[in-house]
Amino acid sequence: MTDFNPFSLHNKKYLITGAASGIGKATCAILSNLGADLILVDVNEDGLNETKQNCKPTDEILVLDLTKSSTIKEAVINKVAIFGKLNGIIHIAGKPYISPLKSISEEKCTELYLLNTYSAIELSKVFTNRNVYAGENGSIVFISSVYGLVGSAANVGYAMSKSALHGITKSLAIELSSKKIRVNCVAPGFIKTPMLNNATEMFQDDYTDNLTKLHPLGLGEASDISYAIAYLLSDASKWVTGSILNIDGGFTAQ
Amino acid sequence: MDNFQSTIAELLEVDDVTMTDELTSFECWDSLTILSIIAYTSDEFNVTLSTDEINNSETIGGLKSLIESKM
Repeated sequence: MTDFNPFSLHNKKYLITGAASGIGKATCAILSNLGADLILVDVNEDGLNETKQNCKPTDEILVLDLTKSSTIKEAVINKVAIFGKLNGIIHIAGKPYISPLKSISEEKCTELYLLNTYSAIELSKVFTNRNVYAGENGSIVFISSVYGLVGSAANVGYAMSKSALHGITKSLAIELSSKKIRVNCVAPGFIKTPMLNNATEMFQDDYTDNLTKLHPLGLGEASDISYAIAYLLSDASKWVTGSILNIDGGFTAQ
Repeated sequence: MDNFQSTIAELLEVDDVTMTDELTSFECWDSLTILSIIAYTSDEFNVTLSTDEINNSETIGGLKSLIESKM
């Protein structure tokens, strides 16, 4: 009985993007503590080195600009050749884009699409490569947003990038089931992260108070999302695929 | 700042603006318009403005000076 732990991530290997800060940074520390071996991916090398201090010494870092789609495959395959084959990927990297319709920019939307959305597809494609996927216990987890589920003014570009992840999740869940790869998505509410702090600086003082009121349980902690990710990676969720898991303090329950 | 006035006019949904026009005098002046200005200055000039700074600039000319002071 003492060995029974369906949430264990021991001997499992994962690649995690957005690892340099916020939800990604917190998730790396938690997954590493749960026994997972990690490749930490981000464009911010200093941030990666900081994150690595809270992980196992054997975890690896990979500096990679996910908006440069054509570079992803080679970089991941080369790293996996040293690190070992993966049981899954977690795509957390993303950026916000607050802009009303009349100031929306095609250039910004394209950049957002490449980072928040298309890299999820490209990483999934690379993950299924026979030189990358360990062949069992496969789990892909994407991070979207409540704003992929419900509407909000000045968020059309961000909503485009995040709601698309929900379609990608369901489509890949079907396509990859024969390879024993589960695909799920976590849709967070507002989390106290540097990304939120940067956004709130633009607004009036009552912005954070108003945001908090949208969440019956208050604003979330990054670890609230990390634990959901850990569940979706573990054998405890072995019959879960194609799901969008709202972790939002009640935001979308209203 | 070549296209500043024409872009601001477009965001304010009018044909043209003058430097002495008060921001609050425009019919469409609301939080979404302020967000549009924040997005425009960030994209065009790499200048980050806050809602309070824009409100305190009072006029089109004041807004232009605010942006220039941060460039």
